[in-house]
Amino acid sequence: MTAIDFDQIQRPGSLSAATVTPCRESLLQDALTQKAIAACGVSMIYQTGTQAFHALKNVSLTINAGDVQLLMGPSGSGKTTLLSILAGILTPTEGRVCLLGEDITRMSSRQLAEFRLTNLGFVFQGFNLFPALTALENVEVALHLKGIKRQAARRQAMELLEQVDLGNKANNLPRDLSGGQKQRVAIARALAGNPKLIMADEPTAALDSQNGHAVIQLLRDLAKEGGRTVLIVTHDPRIVEVADRVIHLEDGILQS
Amino acid sequence: MASIARKNLFEDIPRFLVAQAGIMFAVSLVTIQLGILKGFSRSTAIVVDHTTADLWVTSQEMVYFELTSALPADYLTQAEKVSGVDRAEVLLLRSGRWRDANGKLAPVRIFGFNPDGQLFAGWKILQGKIEDLKQPYTVMLDQDSRRSLGLQQLRDQGSIGFLPATVVGFLDDVQSNASSPFLFASLETANAYGTAELSSSITCTRQSNGELNCTNRFQNRPLGQKIGEIQPPARLNLGDPITYILIRAKPGENLDLLKQRLRDALPGTEAYTRKEMAALTRNYWEERTGVGFILGLGATVGFIVGMVVVGQILYSSVADHIREFGTLKAMGASNWVIYRVIIEQALWMSILGYVPSILLCVGLGHWTQAAKGVMILIEPTTAAGVLVLTVVMCVGSALFAVQKVTRVDPAIVFKA
Repeated sequence: MTAIDFDQIQRPGSLSAATVTPCRESLLQDALTQKAIAACGVSMIYQTGTQAFHALKNVSLTINAGDVQLLMGPSGSGKTTLLSILAGILTPTEGRVCLLGEDITRMSSRQLAEFRLTNLGFVFQGFNLFPALTALENVEVALHLKGIKRQAARRQAMELLEQVDLGNKANNLPRDLSGGQKQRVAIARALAGNPKLIMADEPTAALDSQNGHAVIQLLRDLAKEGGRTVLIVTHDPRIVEVADRVIHLEDGILQS
Repeated sequence: MASIARKNLFEDIPRFLVAQAGIMFAVSLVTIQLGILKGFSRSTAIVVDHTTADLWVTSQEMVYFELTSALPADYLTQAEKVSGVDRAEVLLLRSGRWRDANGKLAPVRIFGFNPDGQLFAGWKILQGKIEDLKQPYTVMLDQDSRRSLGLQQLRDQGSIGFLPATVVGFLDDVQSNASSPFLFASLETANAYGTAELSSSITCTRQSNGELNCTNRFQNRPLGQKIGEIQPPARLNLGDPITYILIRAKPGENLDLLKQRLRDALPGTEAYTRKEMAALTRNYWEERTGVGFILGLGATVGFIVGMVVVGQILYSSVADHIREFGTLKAMGASNWVIYRVIIEQALWMSILGYVPSILLCVGLGHWTQAAKGVMILIEPTTAAGVLVLTVVMCVGSALFAVQKVTRVDPAIVFKA
C-alpha cells in the first residue's frame, strides 16, 4: 500500500479536537496511525464545457475509528461527492484521502477496488439490491465477491440476515419486502465480510420516520458491536441523536 | 455465487421470451440455410455416394456427374484388361421425356445399369426388387419423385417417347434436388429410352406428269413397327455410346496408379475416385451455379441478424441493470466479474435459443423431406457448427454490451 508523501503537503492550520480540521503534516501522521478516515485539502471540480463547478473546496477532516459520523448539509452542498471521494469511488481533483492508514488517492483503480472490497460496506439511499435475487442471495453475492465459498457464504449470509432481524425473509425477493426491510437487507450486505468502514448515503431518505429511526439505530448498534466506523450522509435531522459527531457541509466547504 | 445472469434473464419472462424468439429466428435462419445447402449439396452426388465402385471412368470433357460426353462401349472390354481392375461395369445416363397416364410431360434422367452387377448398387429399396428391372421397360425411382411423375404405386405406368415404362420399385434417398427425376432401369431399357423419340421418314412418288410428290411422315414408334407392337429392348452393342465405366480395383491396388493406367489405356478419358467424383459434382453446384453463394449468403444474413438482435437485447438488459452493475463496481467487484455476468447471460441465451431452434429445424427438415422431397440436412457437424456460431454470436454481442458497463461510473450508485 502507498504511504503519504509528507514532503508534498504544506498546508497551514492547527489540529483541534473537532473533526473538521485544517490539513498539515502532524494531522496526516495522526491519520495514518489513529484515524479511520482522514481527508486533507480535498477539492473537486466538475468541468462542463468551459464552466467549472467547485463541488468541494479544500475539505479536510478526520474520523475516529468506531465513530458514527454524520455528514449533513443541504441538497447540492457536495455531501455525496465527498462520500464518493472518501469511499474511493471518485478521485478528487486535489488533496489526499487516507482510509485505515492508507492513502487511497495514490492507489490504482484496481487497488482501490480491492481496498473497497476488503474494507468498505455500502448502504445506499435507493437500496440498490439486485431485484432478481432473494434477500439471502443479495447478501451472498457480496460474500462471494470477497472470495467466500458457497456453503460458508450461505451460512454467513443467513447469520447476517438474522442479525438484522430478517431471517424469516431470506427467500423473499426485494419486491416483496417493505422499504425498511430492503434497507436492512442492504445493511446486512454492507456488513458482509466484516468491513471496518461503512458508508451510508441517505439511508433513511426513502423510509418513514419509524423505519428510518430503526435503520439508524441498527447501523449504530452494529458499528458499536463490531468496532466499525460509520459515515452517514444525510439531511435528516431526526437521526442526529444517534451520531457521535456531526459535520456540516455547505457549498462544498466544511463548517465546523 | 447466485447466478445474477440467470436470475436477470428469468426476471421478466415476457421479455425473455421475446429475446429468445429473436435468437431462435436467427439460429433457425442460419441452420435452415446451412441445412438446405448441405442437403442440396449432398443430393447432387447422392447417386455417386451410393455406388460401391472404386473408380469412375468417363470422358475427360466431363463437367460434373450429369454433364459429360459419351464413350464407346468397347472401352468396357479394354478397361477390364487393364492391370489392377477386378471388375468393370457400364453405366448409362440418358435423358428423356416422361409422359404420365394423363399425358403430362416431365423431363427425366435415366440411369441404365446391370441389375446383376455389383458396382452400381447399395440402394435403399422401399418397394420392389432390383431383379424386377430385368423385365423390359421397367423402371425404379425415388419415392419423392412419384408426385412429379404422376405416379402413386407399383405397376403404375407412363411412357418415354413411344415406349412404355412400368414402375417396379421405389427407392429412398437417391434423388438430386438439382436435377430432373431419376429413373433407374436395365442397360437395355435405358438405352432404348434414350432413342425412343419421334421417328420420321420421307416417301416420294413420281406423278404421271413427272412431278415428284414427297410426304414427310413423323411417328412416335420406330420405323416399320406397327401400332401396338412393342419390341423388347435390344442388347447393348459395341456401337452404342456409354456414359461411365465403373471400376472395382483388385484388393490392395494403388488407386492413383490404376487411374493413370486407365487413362493411358482409354484415350480421351479421365478416372476419378468415388470421392473425387462426388466432390467434383458438389463443387460444380455450389460454386459454378452460385447456389452455394446464395445459401451461404442467407446463412450469413441470419448470423448478422442474430448478432444485432442479441446485441440489442443484451445492451438493453445491461442498460436496465446498470445500477446493479454500478453497485457491484462500488462494492469492489472487478470489471471481469461484471463481464462474467454479461457473458454468462449471453451463454444462457445462446443455449436456450439454440436447443429449441435445432429441434424446430430437424422437425422442419423431416417435413420438407416427406412433403416436398427437399432435404434440410442437419448433420452432427452442422449442429455443432451452428452451436459454435450461436455462442460466438451471443458472446460477440455481449462484448458489445460490455462496453456500456466498462464506462459505468460507480458513483451512479449514490444517485437516488
